Amino acid sequence: MTLFIQQLFNGFALGGVYCLAAIGLTLVFGVLRIPNLAHGSLYMLGAYVTYFFLTTVGVPYVAAIGIAALVLFCLGILLERLVFRPLQNSPHTHHMIAAIGAMFFFQAVAQAIWGADFRRMETPISGSLHILGAEISAQRIVIIVTAVVVLALLTWFIKRSIHGQTIEATEQDRTGAALVGINPSMVAMLTLGLSALLVTIAAGLVAPINLLSPTMGDSLNLKVFAIIILGGLGSLPGAIVGSFVLAIAETMTSTYISSAVGEVIAFVVLVAVLAIKPTGLFSKAVQR
Amino acid sequence: MLTLNNVSVGYDAIDVLHGVSITAKPGELTVILGANGSGKTTLFKTISGLLRARTGTIEYNDQAIQRARANSIVKRGIAHCPEGRHLFGKMSVEKNLRLGTYPHRNRARTEEILAEVLDLFPILREKASDPAGSLSGGQQQMVAIGRALMSDPSLLILDEPSMGLAPIVVDQVLESVAQINRNGIGVLLSEQNAKASLAIAHRGYVLAEGRVVLEGDADQLLHNPDVQAAYLGL
Repeated sequence: MTLFIQQLFNGFALGGVYCLAAIGLTLVFGVLRIPNLAHGSLYMLGAYVTYFFLTTVGVPYVAAIGIAALVLFCLGILLERLVFRPLQNSPHTHHMIAAIGAMFFFQAVAQAIWGADFRRMETPISGSLHILGAEISAQRIVIIVTAVVVLALLTWFIKRSIHGQTIEATEQDRTGAALVGINPSMVAMLTLGLSALLVTIAAGLVAPINLLSPTMGDSLNLKVFAIIILGGLGSLPGAIVGSFVLAIAETMTSTYISSAVGEVIAFVVLVAVLAIKPTGLFSKAVQR
Repeated sequence: MLTLNNVSVGYDAIDVLHGVSITAKPGELTVILGANGSGKTTLFKTISGLLRARTGTIEYNDQAIQRARANSIVKRGIAHCPEGRHLFGKMSVEKNLRLGTYPHRNRARTEEILAEVLDLFPILREKASDPAGSLSGGQQQMVAIGRALMSDPSLLILDEPSMGLAPIVVDQVLESVAQINRNGIGVLLSEQNAKASLAIAHRGYVLAEGRVVLEGDADQLLHNPDVQAAYLGL
C-alpha cells in the first residue's frame, strides 16, 4: 500500500510534467494545424537553458526556470516566424520536414555548446514529505503544485484575457477570427511562444530528477504525441486527462511489471483508445 | 464611401470577377443582386481582405485598401458578416459578441453597442450563455450580424443573411437590416430575394458571371423589366 501511494504521487508528478508539455503541443495543433515535431527538442533546450542559468550564471532555481521560460518563449516566436510562417501555404509534409529539421538543428546546437555527455542538474529542493506512510520527495511535490498553478493561470489566460481569447477564437474559426480583427500571424506566434514557455517549465521542473542530454526530448516527444492523440487533437481537457492517465499507467506498470513495459504502456493505451474511439477521448471536430 | 474601380479577382488561374466597379455611399443601403455563382461572395471577400484583387483599386474614405489584410480592414470600419457566418461555435453567444469589439476594445462603447444589438435581436438576451453553435440558423445569423456590429462599423457587409432561413425568419432578418441602416450604418447587402431587398435599399447592382450588368436606384431596378424577368419572376 505504501508503495502504491508512493507510485501514485510519482505518477501525478510525471503527469504534471507531461501535462505542461502536452498542452502547448495541442494548442499549436489547434491554432496552426500542424504537429510540431520539434516540441521535444524545445523541451530539451528548455532544460539546458535552465541548467545554464542555474549552474553557469548562478541565479536561484525558480528564477532560472523563469528566465529560461522567457528565452524559450522568444525562441518559439522565432520558430513560427522563420520556419513555419514561410511554409503556411505549402503542403503539410513540408511543415513536418521543417519541424524535424528544426529538431536536429536544436540538438546539434545543444551538443555543440554543452557536449553529448549526460549532465546532472543538482536538486536545489531537498528533503521529502511523509504522506500516508509514503515518502514523497519535495521536488515531486513542487512539480505537482507548479503544474496545477500554471494550468490554472493558463486557463484564466485563454478563457478570460483578450489575448488568450484570440487563441481560442482562431482555433475555432480562422476566418471568423480574421473578420473580428484578430491578426492570425500574431496568434500563431503567441501560441508557439506559449507552447515553448510551458514545455520549458516542465523541463526545468523535471531536470533535477532526470539527466540532461541533447536527445532527452526524443522519448518525451513520442509520449506527448501519444497523449494529445489519446485526448483528442486540439483538446485542452483531453491533453490534461491524457497526461495523467498515461503517467499513472507508466509508473504503475514500471513498478508492478517492469520498467520496459512502463516505457511501452503509453502506446498500448494509445492503441487501445484508438481502437475503441478513433477520434480520441475528448475529440473536437477539426475544421480546415 | 466605398469605391471599387475595375476590380478583377480570381482563384488560381480563373478570374471570377471581371473589372467590377461599384460604389456604396455612406449611410446608404446598397444591394448586390445576382444568381448563385455570379461572384457576390467573392466580391465581398475581396472588399473585406479575405481575398486579394488581381487588378483594380478599392478605396474606403479615400484610402486605398486593396492590399490591406482582413484584420486591419475591420479596424477601418468595414465589418463583414460572411456567408456561412463563421461564428466561434463553442463559445457563448455573449463571448462571440464581445470578441466582435476586438478592433476598438472600448469598454463604454462595448456596453452601448451590446445593448443596441440585444434590443435589435431580443432573443439573443435569452441565449446569451448558450454556445453559438447550438442555436438555430436564424439565431446564428443574428449572432453573426451582431458580432459584426460590435466592431462599431461605418459600413456593414452582409452576405446573403437570409440564406437557408425559413420565410418568416427571412422577413425578420431583412427588417433588422433595414433598422440597422436607419440607425445610420451603411450596408452592403447581397441577396437572392430581389424584391424584398430592393424594397429596403437605396441603390442596387446586378451581377452576372462576374460583371456588373445593371445598376441604378432601387426603385428604378425594381421596375426594370430585365430585373423583373430575371429575379422577380414577373
